[in-house]
Amino acid sequence: MSSGALLSATGVTRRFGGIIAVDGVDLHVREGEFLSVIGPNGAGKTTLFNLISGQDRMDEGRVMLEGRDITNLSPRRMAEAGVARTFQHGRVFGNLSVMDNVLIGCHTRLRAARPRVPVVAPVLEILRALIRPASVRAEEAAMREEVRAIVATFGERLTPRLDEPTYALSYANRRRVEIARALALHPRILILDEPTAGMNESETVEMRDIVDALKRQGRTILLIEHKLDMVMRLSDRVMAMDNGRVIAEGTPAAVRDDPKVIEAYLGHATIGGGEPAEASLMPGTSRAAGGVQ
Amino acid sequence: MGSILSLPWFDFTVSGVVIGSIYALMAVGLALIFGVANLINFAHGAVFTVGAYVGWVCAVALGLPLWATVPLVALGGGLVGAGIEYIAIRPLNRQSRIAPLLATIGVGLILDQIVHILFGANPRALPVPMPGWRVSVGQGSIGPIDITIFVTAVIAAAALYAFLFRTRLGMAVRATAQDEDAAKQMGVNIHAVNMAVFAIAGALGAIAGLLVGIYYNAIDPNTSFQIMLKGMVAIVIGGMANVPGAIGGGVILGLIESYGIALFGASYRNLFAFAVLLLMLLVKPNGLFAKGREREAEPMTGTFVIQSMPVRPPGWLLALGVAAAALVPLAGQPYLTQVMTNAFLYALAAISLTLIAGTVGLVSIGHAALLAIGAYASALLTIAGLPVALGLVAAAAITALLGTALAYPAFRLRGHYVAIGTLAIGEIVSLVILNWTSLTNGSMGVFGIPPLTLFGVDFFSTNPSYWLVLGLVVVFALLQTRLLSSHLGRTWRAIREDTVAAETYGVGSNYYKGLAYGFAGFTAGLAGAVTAHQFSYINFDTFNLLTSVLILTIVILGGLGNVTGAIVAAVLVAGLPEMFRVLAEYRMLFYGAALLLLIRFRPRGLLGSG
Amino acid sequence: MTPSLTRRGLAGLALGLALGGALPALAQSSGEPVMIGVSGPLTGPQAQYGALWKQGFDLALERINAEGGIDGRPLEYTFEDSQNDPRQTIAIAQKFISDPAIVVEVGDFSSTASMAASPLYQRGGLVQFGFTNSHPDFTKTGDYMWSSSISQSQEQQVMADYAVDRLGLRRIAVLHLNTDWGTTAKNIFVEEAKKRGAEVVAAEGYLPDEKDFRATLTRIKASDPDGLLLESYYSDGALLVRQIREVGIDLPIVAVGSVYSPDFLSLAGDAANGVHTTAYFTPVSPRPEVQAFIKDFTAEYGQEPNNFNAMAYDTMNILAEVMRRHGTTREEIKAGLGEISGVPSVLFPEVSFDPETRRVMGLEPTELIVKDGAFQLFQP
Repeated sequence: MSSGALLSATGVTRRFGGIIAVDGVDLHVREGEFLSVIGPNGAGKTTLFNLISGQDRMDEGRVMLEGRDITNLSPRRMAEAGVARTFQHGRVFGNLSVMDNVLIGCHTRLRAARPRVPVVAPVLEILRALIRPASVRAEEAAMREEVRAIVATFGERLTPRLDEPTYALSYANRRRVEIARALALHPRILILDEPTAGMNESETVEMRDIVDALKRQGRTILLIEHKLDMVMRLSDRVMAMDNGRVIAEGTPAAVRDDPKVIEAYLGHATIGGGEPAEASLMPGTSRAAGGVQ
Repeated sequence: MGSILSLPWFDFTVSGVVIGSIYALMAVGLALIFGVANLINFAHGAVFTVGAYVGWVCAVALGLPLWATVPLVALGGGLVGAGIEYIAIRPLNRQSRIAPLLATIGVGLILDQIVHILFGANPRALPVPMPGWRVSVGQGSIGPIDITIFVTAVIAAAALYAFLFRTRLGMAVRATAQDEDAAKQMGVNIHAVNMAVFAIAGALGAIAGLLVGIYYNAIDPNTSFQIMLKGMVAIVIGGMANVPGAIGGGVILGLIESYGIALFGASYRNLFAFAVLLLMLLVKPNGLFAKGREREAEPMTGTFVIQSMPVRPPGWLLALGVAAAALVPLAGQPYLTQVMTNAFLYALAAISLTLIAGTVGLVSIGHAALLAIGAYASALLTIAGLPVALGLVAAAAITALLGTALAYPAFRLRGHYVAIGTLAIGEIVSLVILNWTSLTNGSMGVFGIPPLTLFGVDFFSTNPSYWLVLGLVVVFALLQTRLLSSHLGRTWRAIREDTVAAETYGVGSNYYKGLAYGFAGFTAGLAGAVTAHQFSYINFDTFNLLTSVLILTIVILGGLGNVTGAIVAAVLVAGLPEMFRVLAEYRMLFYGAALLLLIRFRPRGLLGSG
Repeated sequence: MTPSLTRRGLAGLALGLALGGALPALAQSSGEPVMIGVSGPLTGPQAQYGALWKQGFDLALERINAEGGIDGRPLEYTFEDSQNDPRQTIAIAQKFISDPAIVVEVGDFSSTASMAASPLYQRGGLVQFGFTNSHPDFTKTGDYMWSSSISQSQEQQVMADYAVDRLGLRRIAVLHLNTDWGTTAKNIFVEEAKKRGAEVVAAEGYLPDEKDFRATLTRIKASDPDGLLLESYYSDGALLVRQIREVGIDLPIVAVGSVYSPDFLSLAGDAANGVHTTAYFTPVSPRPEVQAFIKDFTAEYGQEPNNFNAMAYDTMNILAEVMRRHGTTREEIKAGLGEISGVPSVLFPEVSFDPETRRVMGLEPTELIVKDGAFQLFQP
C-alpha cells in the first residue's frame, strides 16, 4: 500500500500521560496528491501533523519521505528534508518585513552564504556575510527575485507591502505570508494546518482559491481543515479521525457519507464550527518543561 | 583534616539550616510574587533593606519595644511593596515579562540608594534585647532569633498557603495568576489583588530584613542584591511559584552551601549557589517539588522588542558625529577625554550586548563576564610575553569561543529564565576567576598589565587611547551593521520573534545564537582587553553584576538591537554623570531611575528597537 | 637643617596652643589656596570610608589653616568620588594631573583602585599619596607613589609577634577577606608565623559581602586550632566574632589593626570581649598629640575617632608639614617626602619615610584587648 507514496507514516502513536492522543495511525500521500484530514475537536489531527513535521516526538511509528526514514527528526531536519508547514494560528515574524519573512523560507537552500565546511563553518559564515563575495551576492539577489515571484502569485495584495513589517498586515495577509514562506522552502510536501482559521467568509473564499492554485501547480498537500466545503472541493482523498484513530478514509463523498464520521461529528456536536482548542497547538504549551524548549 | 567522614557533618547541617531559613524567609515572598505576577521581583532585596532600617529607626532611634517595631516594619514593607506594584508593575501589564523584571532592578537600585543617602553606608548595629538563653546543638548553639527566623518563615509559608488555597481572595489571587482575562471576567479586581500580594510580600521581606538585622546585629545598605539572589536561587530550587516549596528550597540551598564549604572551603559558597541555580534551570526548571506540569510553560518569545521602526539617522549625520567625536581631545581637557574613552568602552560592550539581547532576544544580565574573560585573557597572555596587539586579538578570539561555550546552556532557556541563567553564568565566571588562583592569581588580581602599545606605537596616553577606542567602536559598529543586513540579520531576528517557527523553516536556532554570541564575544572581549591594559590592574570584581546591569541599561536606552542607539546611550549613561560630578553621590539613583523610566515610558529606547 | 628645626618648633608651639584650647588668631590663612586632590569612595560599597576620611581631613585642615595654612595660603582639598572603582580612579587621575592647581594626590581607598591609576600619576609627575594602601606593591610602581599606610609585611610581622610570641599560639586558624588586601595579609602572616615556629592549620577566605560564617567556622573548628587570627575590616570582623562565639569556639582571637574602631565594639556587642588587636592610633595612648586629636574630634563630631579618621587626619598634617618645609610645587613635595623627618603624628611616634620603600619608618604598635566593651592596653 505504501509503495509509490511520497510520504508514508505507519503506526504513529503519541501518548500524553494516560491519554493516547494518536493511536496507531497510518497515513500515505502520493506525489501530487491532496489529502485532507478531518475530525472533531480533540480528534488528534494537529497532534498527528506535529508528529509528522517534527514539532513533537512520537512514541511509536515510522515516517518515510521518498524512501528516507524521517521519524522524529527535529523540525530543522524536517525542513531540510523538504517538509514545510504552516501553523493554525499563524506564526509570522512580526518585526520582520514581508520580504525577510519569506526569505527565511529560503534558508535551507542557501549555499554560498552558509558554508558546509566542518569546524570553521561558523567563522566562514560570519566572514562571508561581512565580505559578501560575488557568489553570496548573486545568491541573495536570486532569492529576493524568487520571493518577489512567489509573493506576486497572491496578486497585488502583498507586493506593495514587501518592505513593511508583518505586524502591520491584515490577518489574511499574514496567512498569505506564511504560505509564501512555506513555498520558498521548495517543499516536497506542504502541510497546511487550518489555513482559514479565524477568517471571514470572503477571506475564506480567497484562501480556498490560493490553496486551489497550489493544488493545480501539482504540489503534494496535506490539509487539516474544519470548513468541509473547502475539503470537499479540493481533496483527492479524505481521512477522518476521532479519538486518535482513523475512522474512515476514501473519496470526499464517501467519507462525508460514512455513518461513523457523521456519528463522530454529531457526538461532539461541533461539525465544522468554532475554533478548535487543542492545547498542543497553542503557542507556548508545546512542551512540558517550564523554561526549556 | 582527616577523612571526609570525620568532618562534623551534624554541625554543618545545623549551619546550613540556620542560613537556609534566612534564604527561605526571602524566598517565600519571592515565590508569592512569582505565583501571582509571574515575575521575579529584583527589588525584594531592597525591601529587605528598607525593613532593616525601618526597624533600626523604631527600635534604636525611637527606642520602641519589639512588639511595636514588628508591625511598623511590616507596615513600612507593605507600603513599599504596594508602591513597587503601583509604579513598576501595573503600568507594564501589557508588556512581556522581562520588562517588569528590569523595572524591579531599577526600583531596587533607587530604594537602595535612598537608604544609602538617608543613613549612610556605614553598617549600623541593631541591638534588640532578646532572651538570653541559647540551646546547645552539636558543638555550637542556636539562640531565640535563629528559631524565630525559621518559625516565621514556616508560619508565613503556611499562612500564605492556607490563604491561597482556602480563602476566596486567595482563589482570586490564584485565578489571576492562571488566567488574567478569565479572572477579570469573573469580576476579580486584578489590580487590587496584585497590590495586595505585593504588599504582603513586602511586609514579609521587611520583617525578614529586621530579623536578619537583629540576628547579625548589623544592617547596611549593600546587602540587598546578594540576599535577593539567594532567595531567587531558593525559589528556583523549590519551584518558582511554590510557596511551601520556597522553604524547602531555602533550606536545601543553605545545606548545599554549608556542605560545599565543608568539602571545598568558604570561597566556594557562591559558586555552589549559582551552579545549583543553573543546573536547576536546565534540568528541573519547575523545581524539585514539581509534580509533572504544575504551571504552563513560558511564552515562546522572551524579548520585549516593541513593534517599532528604528530611527535611521542619515549617513552624513553619523559621519559628522564620528568626526565630532574624533575632535574631542583637541578641547585640551584630558579628564573629558578620559571620560569619553570610558564611555566608548561601554559603547563597545553595549554594541555587543545589543546584538545578543536586542537582535537575538537573549536578554543577558551577565554580560560583564565576557569583558572579564577578554580582560584576563589579554592580561595573562601579554604578561607571559605576547605583544599587546596579539594579546588583544587572542583575547577577543578566546572570549568568542569561551563566551559562546559558557552561554550555550542558556540558549535552551527562554523568557526571563534567560535573564536568570545569564546572571548565574556571569557570577560563575567571576567566582571561577576568584577561585582559580593558579591561573588568575585569585583575589590578588593581576597586576602590572602592560600598557597599550601596538606595533611599537604608544596608545596608552590619553589621546591615542581615546582614538584607538573610538576607532574600535566605529569599526565594530560598521561590521555589526553589515552583518545585520545579511542573511544573518534576518535569521537572528526571526529566532527572536518565534524560535519554533524559525526552526520549522530549517534555522538551527542554537547554531545562530552561537554565531551571535561568537561575534558579540569577540567585540566584548576586545572591550574588556583594552580596559585591562588601561587599568594595568584587574581582579575578579572589576567587571561585576553592576557593570552588567549598566550595560543592559545602555542597550535598552539606545533601543534593543540598535547599534547607533547603543553608542549614543553609552555616551549619555557612562559619560554624562561623570561630567556633572556634583551629582556623583546620586549616580546610582540616576541609573535606577533611567532604567525604570525607560521601561515605563519608552521601552523601544531613544532610537527605536530593531 | 636650621630652618626646618625652627618650623618644627613653630608647629609644636601651635600644637601646644591648640592643646590649651586657644587657637591663635594671629595666623589666619588667606590668598590662593594650596589644593590637594583626593580620590576616594563617597558612594558604592566602600562609601563609609570616604565619609570617615572627610571627617579626618576637615578637622586637620581647620587646625592647619587656623595656624596660617601653608605660609599664609589656605590648604584645601577637592574630593572626587571614585566609588573605589579603577575605572573612575584613572579618569580622576587624568583630571588631577591636568589641573595645575593640584599639587599632590591622596588616595584611593583600596590598593586595587589606587594601583590602576598609579602609572598615570607616575607618568604625570604627581605624587600619589596612599594612606590606606597597605599592598606591598603599592609603592613599587614608581618614585611618585608614597604611603603612610603600614605595609602589610610590617603589619603581619606585628600580628605574628602578638599571636605567636606574646600569646603563645602554635596552631592558628586564619580567616581573611578574600580580597587583594586580605589574601596578601594572610600569605605574609603564614610566612611570619612559620618563622616563629607556629603552624597555620586552616586558612579560609570570605567575600566582603558575606554575612554568614557558621559553616566556615565549623570547618575551622574541625582543624583543631588553638587560636584564631582575623584579617578583617571592622564590620565583617564584628560579624565573625559574634558567630565564632555562637558556634561555640572559645579560643583566643587576634584581629588585625583595621578592626580597631568603636563600630567594631557596637556591632560585635559582648562577643568582642577578649579579642586582641593592635593599634598605632589609640585613645589609650598618653601622647599629647593623640589626646588633643581625640578631644577635638569628639568636640567636632560627637563621637570618638577611629583608625580611618586618624589616618586621614595624619595625612593632611604630613602633607602640610612637607609643604611648609619644602615648598608646594609637585616636585618639591615629592623631594620633600624623601627628606622630611620628625613630623608629629597621631599614629606613629613621629613620621619619616624610608626613601627606598617610600613607606613610614620606625613603627611602635600598641597591643590591645577588648575588655568590658572597650579597647584596653593588653597586659598579660
